[in-house]
Amino acid sequence: MEAFLQRIASRLGRDVRTSVERPKWKHAPQHTVFQGYSQDELLDELKKQCTRIHTTLVETTAGRLVDAIDDVIAAHGGGPIVVANDERYEQFGLSSLFTREDVHVWDHTLGRANIEAAERANIGITFSDITLAESGTVVLLNNRDQGRTISFLPKTYVAIIPRSTIVPRMTQAARTIRERGHVPSCINFITGPSNSADIEMNLVVGVHGPVKATYIVITDR
Amino acid sequence: MNVTLFVTCLVDLFHVNVGKATVELLERLGCTIHFPEGQTCCGQPAYNSGYVKEAKEAMKHMIRTFEHAEYIVTPSGSCATMFKEYPHIFQGDGEWEERAQRLADKTYELTQFIVDVLKVEDVGARLEGKATYHTSCHMTRLLGVKDAPFTLLQHVKGLEVVPLPNAHNCCGFGGTFSVKMGPISEQMVDEKIQCIEQVEADYLIGADCGCLMNIGGRIERKGKPIRVMHIAEVLNCR
Amino acid sequence: MALKINMGEFHERVEKGIHNTFMRGAVAGAQERLRTRRLEAAEELGNWEEWRALGEEIRQHTLENLDYYLMQLSENVKKRGGHVFFAQTAEEANDYICRVVASKQAKKIVKSKSMVTEEIHMNAALEKLGCEVIETDLGEYILQVDDHDPPSHIVAPALHKNKEQIRDVFKEKLAYTKTEKPEELALHARHMLRHEYMTADVGITGCNFAIAESGSITLVTNEGNADLVTALPKTQITVMGMERIVPTFEEMEVLVSLLTRSAVGQKLTSYITVLTGPREEGEVDGPEEFHLVIVDNGRSDILGTEFQSVLQCIRCAACVNVCPVYRHIGGHSYGSIYSGPIGAVLSPLLGGYDDYKELPYASTLCAACTEACPVKIPLHELLLKHRQTIVEREGKAPISEKLAMKAFGLGAASSLLYKLGSKIAPTAVNPFTTNDRISKGPGPLKAWTDIREFPAPEKERFRDWLKQRGNE
Repeated sequence: MEAFLQRIASRLGRDVRTSVERPKWKHAPQHTVFQGYSQDELLDELKKQCTRIHTTLVETTAGRLVDAIDDVIAAHGGGPIVVANDERYEQFGLSSLFTREDVHVWDHTLGRANIEAAERANIGITFSDITLAESGTVVLLNNRDQGRTISFLPKTYVAIIPRSTIVPRMTQAARTIRERGHVPSCINFITGPSNSADIEMNLVVGVHGPVKATYIVITDR
Repeated sequence: MNVTLFVTCLVDLFHVNVGKATVELLERLGCTIHFPEGQTCCGQPAYNSGYVKEAKEAMKHMIRTFEHAEYIVTPSGSCATMFKEYPHIFQGDGEWEERAQRLADKTYELTQFIVDVLKVEDVGARLEGKATYHTSCHMTRLLGVKDAPFTLLQHVKGLEVVPLPNAHNCCGFGGTFSVKMGPISEQMVDEKIQCIEQVEADYLIGADCGCLMNIGGRIERKGKPIRVMHIAEVLNCR
Repeated sequence: MALKINMGEFHERVEKGIHNTFMRGAVAGAQERLRTRRLEAAEELGNWEEWRALGEEIRQHTLENLDYYLMQLSENVKKRGGHVFFAQTAEEANDYICRVVASKQAKKIVKSKSMVTEEIHMNAALEKLGCEVIETDLGEYILQVDDHDPPSHIVAPALHKNKEQIRDVFKEKLAYTKTEKPEELALHARHMLRHEYMTADVGITGCNFAIAESGSITLVTNEGNADLVTALPKTQITVMGMERIVPTFEEMEVLVSLLTRSAVGQKLTSYITVLTGPREEGEVDGPEEFHLVIVDNGRSDILGTEFQSVLQCIRCAACVNVCPVYRHIGGHSYGSIYSGPIGAVLSPLLGGYDDYKELPYASTLCAACTEACPVKIPLHELLLKHRQTIVEREGKAPISEKLAMKAFGLGAASSLLYKLGSKIAPTAVNPFTTNDRISKGPGPLKAWTDIREFPAPEKERFRDWLKQRGNE
């Protein structure tokens, strides 16, 4: 390593640097996007963007969330389903999800069986930790109770989005993640379903990951 | 207004009519034309081929030749761009960098000069027919003159100007590229001509003799009924 | 596949490209679509130039302090339980990767798209070890199945192939029975690859941006393949060109925004994934072991030179998508895995002038590339610098050209010589002139007149006319 870095430094005509102050950048256009927007305005932007990323957006209230999820599950052909072991399900009155027979709740003590359940699942459901209005992106800070594969292996991916998680763009998410301190081993920024244009530039939706994506926005939380 | 004309080597030797039109047009707009006899070439052919030393000799000569001008005007976006590049090329070369900067600061491409300095948009020209305009790369991207030619053409009576499809693509001239990479250049100019034909234009208008020699030469070889004109010639039509 | 794609001499490759009608249609179509999308995405922001300026600023700062940020990255990866290897050369990188793979007794490797692994010829090294290496990016997968056809575009590697060709390859190699519909082809690849992800021993990825402050790597895809490559196998190896690094998350997000907008006109691609170290305590997916291989392979030789700015590149291919030369000759003509303007600048630097001396001339210097670059690399100026180097330092220019340019220097720097030369020009070419036109020119004019008419020099020069008229 020393020789490698030494070589870089000498090419740059100086000694190896052991400390560098991150500069204050002269330009900061990223902060002007949706500056000063209210949560409602951000939600409007998110809705607009979803029409461009092959993603269905459903609005509901906390009180009607259970029904909304049931509808989405039914619309996508039902289970099997895989969900994270996330206390927010209970906070949002979704305990009933856990007792459904066709639902696998991620349990890290079961090891690889979780991945196999995800592979078999028709639908994977997680909460969005941060939601980006500009790009229509849900941010998942994964952990041992929320496996990475929940959002990748099933055919359909469903994100539950409390309205309060919506921010203008990736800028705010990046800052939040930096300020949180410990960075999770895997952070996903997911924007709609998997797709590819590798064959004659034709867009094919659903390549390796989910074929369909649905966002359920809880408008009063 | 005192205008010192940098006519460019291509116009001096091959497209004398473009030079004549430029002079008559500017005089009609109230300018007095000066022409330093010592002028040669901006140095681009050598510079773009990697012969910087040789190019710099030509450039120094041009700096000396045009030093006393008030406004330097040239009927070529590409050659104007080259003058504008001089300070960059002489960077760190104290005296020459400064002299190059002074030269660059007073250099204008013809249409840019008419619209931005003379503040004229209608030069009173008339030409019947349908035309399309070739936006040359250096003039648009490097010199940044995008609107002036269109502004002037809009006011030419009798002339319908239609947009050229894929106008952003280079015509394939590129100086020595046109001979070094002949087969590629041929494909590029052929696509350009297809686009011109697509809009059924009677005239192809441009502001750079290099591009026009390339497109025009190919049009002629293929026997297409399209007339190639420099914008100075169009603006000088009454 | 290494940097070099061995396909004959430059001019032969160009001929082949020009005559490949399907490829040219595909490239022109892709260029138009990608260019339009990029412009729309930029337009939408309203202050694109400011974004570019920020992108440039970040990249320049990072390169100027590259040693520091790499050290910081390395320390933070290690803190999170990852391994870091600095590879000066392609051989060192491959040796290390092979050692890791051998120590796991790995047989099957899944891989997501990575230019640097192509550059160092990694797949061949692993195959020699007896491993099966499976590309998972759909475009790369298609090329691999088709006997390792080289990529022709940095972002859309299989751009030169049509769906019928892909169908036939799939039929021959993958027992495919359906039609040439892209959906059906993609679905087949999905099924084939699902199995591979689940059973692979090692996953190998490239790296769009490493983040020094957190010791993370960022992967950008639309397919989600990189996520499966990193979630399922027990060992993950990430290979990065040493310049693909940013200080913190905040710079990463700016560059990702520039990348996805410039590459495909999307605000963000479907999957942006930031991975930090191996899986944590209790996690069941993600790798148990994480190795980061940081590759120099000629990059440090570019640092501190007039070409340093080329290392700002974020591999978006915006320059490729606007290049009028690439448009007609396609990616394979460049003879390098890096095609288009960025390839014409980078390939001679990484692979030497012997193999790539024509590339800097395969440009009209139209500057469309420079205008498109989201991190403001002055690509056309770097092509010029290459030409200058070839003339001055490498002495590789033809003698006839040198003489001509010498004469130019003399002529253009002296009013007298210029006047004399221009005066005798019409007489000199007189034997070749008909109706003021030259159709079959002598010497250097021949290459011009093979394609187009050339105007004969006018008998009365402009300056003579002006003089007669009485102007000063």
